[in-house]
Amino acid sequence: MSGQDLPAGMSRCVLCGEPAVARLRDPARHLCAAHFTGFFEERVSRTIADGKMVRPGDRIAVALSGGKDSTALALVLSHLLPAWDDVHPVAITIDEGIAGYRDETLRAAQELTSRLGIEHHTVSFAELFGKDLDRILAGREQRACTICGILRKKALAVAAGRYGATKIATGHNLDDEAQSVLMNALRGDLPRLIRDAGRENPCFIPRIKPLSLTPEREIALYLMLCDAWKELPECPYTRYALRAEVRGMLSKLEYQHPGTMLHLIESKKKIERYCAGAQVPAAIRRCRECGDPCSGELCQLCRLRHSLG
Amino acid sequence: MIDAGARTVEQVLVDLGINPIEVIVSRNGRLVPDDAVVSGDDEIRIIRIAHGG
Repeated sequence: MSGQDLPAGMSRCVLCGEPAVARLRDPARHLCAAHFTGFFEERVSRTIADGKMVRPGDRIAVALSGGKDSTALALVLSHLLPAWDDVHPVAITIDEGIAGYRDETLRAAQELTSRLGIEHHTVSFAELFGKDLDRILAGREQRACTICGILRKKALAVAAGRYGATKIATGHNLDDEAQSVLMNALRGDLPRLIRDAGRENPCFIPRIKPLSLTPEREIALYLMLCDAWKELPECPYTRYALRAEVRGMLSKLEYQHPGTMLHLIESKKKIERYCAGAQVPAAIRRCRECGDPCSGELCQLCRLRHSLG
Repeated sequence: MIDAGARTVEQVLVDLGINPIEVIVSRNGRLVPDDAVVSGDDEIRIIRIAHGG
C-alpha cells in the first residue's frame, strides 16, 4: 500500500507509508495499525521496566473485569510476559453482583482468557461478604463507588492470595490516574496519593499499574486493532460518582490543553519525591476485629461494615 | 450518514458537540485519525469510548 495512492483525505504512517489509524502528539506523528500497536506495547513494556513492576518468578494476578482497560491489560501482558524470565499471569474476575451489567463483562472475561490460554478464576461478593453489591447498596447508591472500591480491593487481595499471586496488576490508565489526582485535591486529601503509592510492605501483595501512562483513547484503539473491542454496558452506579464529573471536565481540558493529564501525574510524582525523605510512614498494625494489616485500629473494610450497620 | 462537506473528522465532531478524545471514528469502515478529511459521500461511524473496565 505504501507505494499506492491513498483515498483522498488520508494520512500515511511516518514509519512505513501505510494508511494511518492514529495521530499522536509529542512528538506529532501518524502511525498505521501495526506501528501503533507496536508503539502501544513498547510503552507498556517501558512503564513496567521503569517502575520495576515485575521480577523473575512473579505470578501476576491480572484484575480482569472484562471491560476495556482490563481486557487490554490481559492482552498486552499475554504478548509481553513470555519475554520476561519465568513470569506468569493468572486472571482474576470479581463478580460484585450488579444486575444488568456484570453478566456481560463476565462472559467477555471468560471468552478472552480462553482465547489467550490464561488461567482464570472468579470470586464473588456474595461468596466473600454474604451479599451481592446491589443488596449491599440498597438505599446507599450515592456511596456506591466508595463502598464497591473497598470491597473490591479486599476481594482482589483475597483472590490473589488464594491463587498464589505475588503481584496484582490493575488496568488503571492515564485518564484514571489523572482523575484520581484531581479528585483527591478536590476532596482535600492529596496526601492520600502518597499513602497509596508508598504502600510497600510485606503484609500486602504489591499492586502494579502497567497502563498508568497510556491514555484511555489509545486503549480503545488498541482493542479495536486487536479485534478485541466489545460494546459493553456501563456500570449503572457510575452516574453517582464524583469521578464521572471529573472525567468530563478533565477530558475537555486535555483536548483544549494537550498534556494536562500527564502534567497531573508529573505533579503527583514530584510531590512523592518531595515527601520521600520527610514522610514517616505510619506503622503497619493489625485490625483489632479481623486481623488484616492496616494503618489504624480498624481496617477500611471493618470501618465500612460498621458504617453499613 | 452525515453531510460533512469537506472537513476533518475533528471539525465534524466539534460541530456535533463531541469531544474528539472521547471517541474513535471510522470512515467507510476504516479507522482514521482525527485529521482525516471527510466529505458528504463518506459514511462516518463514531464509536464512544465506554467508561470503566
